[in-house]
Amino acid sequence: MKGMRKMLLYACLMAWSAFASADLVLVANPKAGIDRLTQSDVVNIYLGRYRHLASGLTAEPIDIEGEADLKARFYRRLVGKSLAEINAYWARLVFSGKTQPPLAVVNTEEALQRVASRIGALAYLERGKVDRRVAIVFDLGE
Amino acid sequence: MSPLFLTWANSLAKPLARWWQGILARTLLAVIGIVMLLGGVSSIWVSQSVGEREYRQAVQGLGELLDTVESTASIACFASDEQLAAEVAQGLMRNRDVRRVVIRAGERELVSVARGAVATVLPRKLGADDTAVRKVERTLVSPFNRGEIVGEIALDADWLAIDARVRQSARYTVMLLVGQLALVVVALAASMLYLVVRPIKATSDRLHQLDPSSGMQLSVPEGHDNSEIGRLVDDINDLTGRLVATLDQERSLREQQAIAQRKYQDLFDHAASGIFVADRTGRLVSFNRAFAALTWMPKRDQTAGRSLAEIGWQESGHVLVLLLASLDQTAGHLPSEGDFLLKGRRGDERWLHVAVIPVGDGSVQGTVTDVTQRKYEELSARRLAVTDSLTGFANRTGLQHLLAELKPHDAPFALAMMDLDGFKQINDALGFPIGDQMLLAVAARIRELMAESDEVARIGGDEFAWVLAGETERERVGERIAYLLAAMSRPFNLGTPDNPVEISISGSVGVAFFPADGIDLHRLLRSAELALNNMRAGGGRGFRYFDPALQAAVEHRRRLEDDLRQALAGGQLHLVFQPIIDIAAGRLAGAEALLRWEHPVRGMVSPETFIPLAEELGLIGEIGAMVLDEACRQVAVWRRDGLDMYVSVNVSVRQIPDALPPHAIHDALMRHGLPPAAVALEITEGVLMADVAVAQAWIGSLRTAGLRIYLDDFGTGYSSLSYLKRFPMDTVKIDKSFIRDMGADNSDRALVEAIVTMANSLGLNVVAEGIEDAQQLAILHKMGCGYGQGYYFSRPVKGEEFLAAVARIDAQFDQA
Repeated sequence: MKGMRKMLLYACLMAWSAFASADLVLVANPKAGIDRLTQSDVVNIYLGRYRHLASGLTAEPIDIEGEADLKARFYRRLVGKSLAEINAYWARLVFSGKTQPPLAVVNTEEALQRVASRIGALAYLERGKVDRRVAIVFDLGE
Repeated sequence: MSPLFLTWANSLAKPLARWWQGILARTLLAVIGIVMLLGGVSSIWVSQSVGEREYRQAVQGLGELLDTVESTASIACFASDEQLAAEVAQGLMRNRDVRRVVIRAGERELVSVARGAVATVLPRKLGADDTAVRKVERTLVSPFNRGEIVGEIALDADWLAIDARVRQSARYTVMLLVGQLALVVVALAASMLYLVVRPIKATSDRLHQLDPSSGMQLSVPEGHDNSEIGRLVDDINDLTGRLVATLDQERSLREQQAIAQRKYQDLFDHAASGIFVADRTGRLVSFNRAFAALTWMPKRDQTAGRSLAEIGWQESGHVLVLLLASLDQTAGHLPSEGDFLLKGRRGDERWLHVAVIPVGDGSVQGTVTDVTQRKYEELSARRLAVTDSLTGFANRTGLQHLLAELKPHDAPFALAMMDLDGFKQINDALGFPIGDQMLLAVAARIRELMAESDEVARIGGDEFAWVLAGETERERVGERIAYLLAAMSRPFNLGTPDNPVEISISGSVGVAFFPADGIDLHRLLRSAELALNNMRAGGGRGFRYFDPALQAAVEHRRRLEDDLRQALAGGQLHLVFQPIIDIAAGRLAGAEALLRWEHPVRGMVSPETFIPLAEELGLIGEIGAMVLDEACRQVAVWRRDGLDMYVSVNVSVRQIPDALPPHAIHDALMRHGLPPAAVALEITEGVLMADVAVAQAWIGSLRTAGLRIYLDDFGTGYSSLSYLKRFPMDTVKIDKSFIRDMGADNSDRALVEAIVTMANSLGLNVVAEGIEDAQQLAILHKMGCGYGQGYYFSRPVKGEEFLAAVARIDAQFDQA
């Protein structure tokens, strides 16, 4: 029994390290003037509470819809909720029309382009895909 | 409920006029009362609890309502989305219990929606503690961070609406309860009516028409064979059965009682004895015909309520006393009774015996019988008891009654006691009829001499006591007694005309005076008798007054009696012996034993005095036995001393035959070893005269035994020669009076010679008594008189001197 539990624990740890190799980070336009965002800032901006940065710039968050589970991983990491829950959340807000969800793009590349092109844009991507055009403002870790 | 009530009320209305007193009504009233009470209480409780539950449910509902919108509201707050908040609020307002909704995001009010006026009154059911639920509020947290508060939502409940709903709900519940209870009551009433009231009423109706005496029985209502009602009916049947039986017994008892009553009534009505019942005051409660007849009760008075005292008793008080006495008896019911004299209206009288006995309730029951006959018989018997039936005078008892209570101050009188001289002889000779005639004649002569207030009683065979009332003077009494004696001395012509007898008699009278000679009848009679005896002792005829000296003489004699008894006991009596001489042989033949009494004070007492006394006192037997024994002892001594002699002992007439029976004499001889010839018994003519047959038998038996019999004092009495022939004597003793005068008086001498000659010719020995000198002795010797005794030979001497006397006599003869 004890042995079996230990084996299970090992299996989990091994799976976890596989993910860890693909860390998620939030990137912004380097010109945006922000160095770092808190998790709370990230949550408020992405879930529509407010859409401005500390520098006063309007924040334009971007969701990446086309890359497998990237979006799901992001929200899971950010607020611990599934995509269904996030979608339900937005369903209620969208109906009133006052607050809009983040801008949806197809892939990471498109997201990079948009961040690079717009000064207030924010996007999440795997750490490995970060390039010169963007600056990491929040590390979602693992 | 109401029609049903009317139904059973109608059904019971007639027999049970006051239906509300019926079981059903009472039960229903009780049940309704209980139901109302319990229903009221439980309604209040139910409505209260229902209300409370409703409130809590309402509050809880509001809470749950909030829960459903909480996430949306928190999103609205998170995103500060008024649109979304307004939607949430509108949604909440769709609930009728919600009156107002306010959603705030931080300081900013996203939305505030309200309906109507704000309720100012708190719902009753919620207390101060419930203020928390008065306003339902929730703090809203961020959907993405539970630790971050993003706003709040507040609901105001619409309490008026809730309250109305709660009230409705409670009302409904109470209505339900009341309806159930009403159904229960109705069901109960119906069951009561059908299961209890109806059978009871049916039974009751039947019971009304039931006639138990005809043997009818109640029937058990259908289906109630084993129920309480069935048992009740059975019990009633049982009870009526027993009652009927008891009534039957009672009736038969009453009939028996009535018969008995009739019987006793008949007895009561037709009894010969009078019967009555009276209370303690003597009031007659009832009485029978015989009672009315016996008490001479007038017809018109024959009603109850009359008093026993109103009857014509001579002493009605005594009757009432008897009544009370019987009631006062504490122990037992003994009849009290008494005889009462009833006085009739016409002067007739009747003795009634009344016996009463208490009957227990303070009244008495009495019987009355006519005892007049018995009463008169008793009276006459009582009179007879005090009357001499022959003469009609009082008898001794009568005299005692007459003079029973003499007192010293009573009127003086004289008492004369008369005795008829020679009456006994007349009676003996002529028989009782003549004797009775004689007494009647005497009584008649006395009667002629009686004064008005005198009394005469016949107190003995020929003894009369005459009370000369008021007489105190001796002379006067003497005169009257003289008349009496004169009357007695007149000859009496008695007998029958065919056989007339003329008798002369005389009376002797002793007189005593009251109170001088005796203060009561007893002493007076004794005094008179003393006087009488004294006079008769004097031998004269006539009368004598009581003399105190007589009393003294009597006293003297009485003392003598005492002394004599003492003498006998104390050995003062002793014997002396006078030698009896064989004249022809000139020697001692025997001795006469003579009794002497040497009184310690008076000296020698003569036998002539004390022998009659001893005879009277009945001491003669004892004395005689003593004399015989002593004489035998003495002669036995002398005979052993060589004297050939006998002893002669005097025997009194009173000793024959019982005081000195032949066997006693025989015993004395045996005791002292004497032959019969050693003892001679001297008797007087009196012995022979007293009772010839007895004397003959006594003498004959002694003669047969070999004893000698001497006839003493010959010549002084009748000296009948026929006695000598009829009684077998040995010897006659010529009385000393003849011997004494023999020398001087020729006639005496001739008499003595005749006696001697005659005795000799009859073969009898002769003893001459009282020889005092030689001349007498010579004469007697010459006559051929065999034996003699007297002073010439020896005076009587004591036993111890006797031998000397004998020696002297021998010497005398030797000289001659």
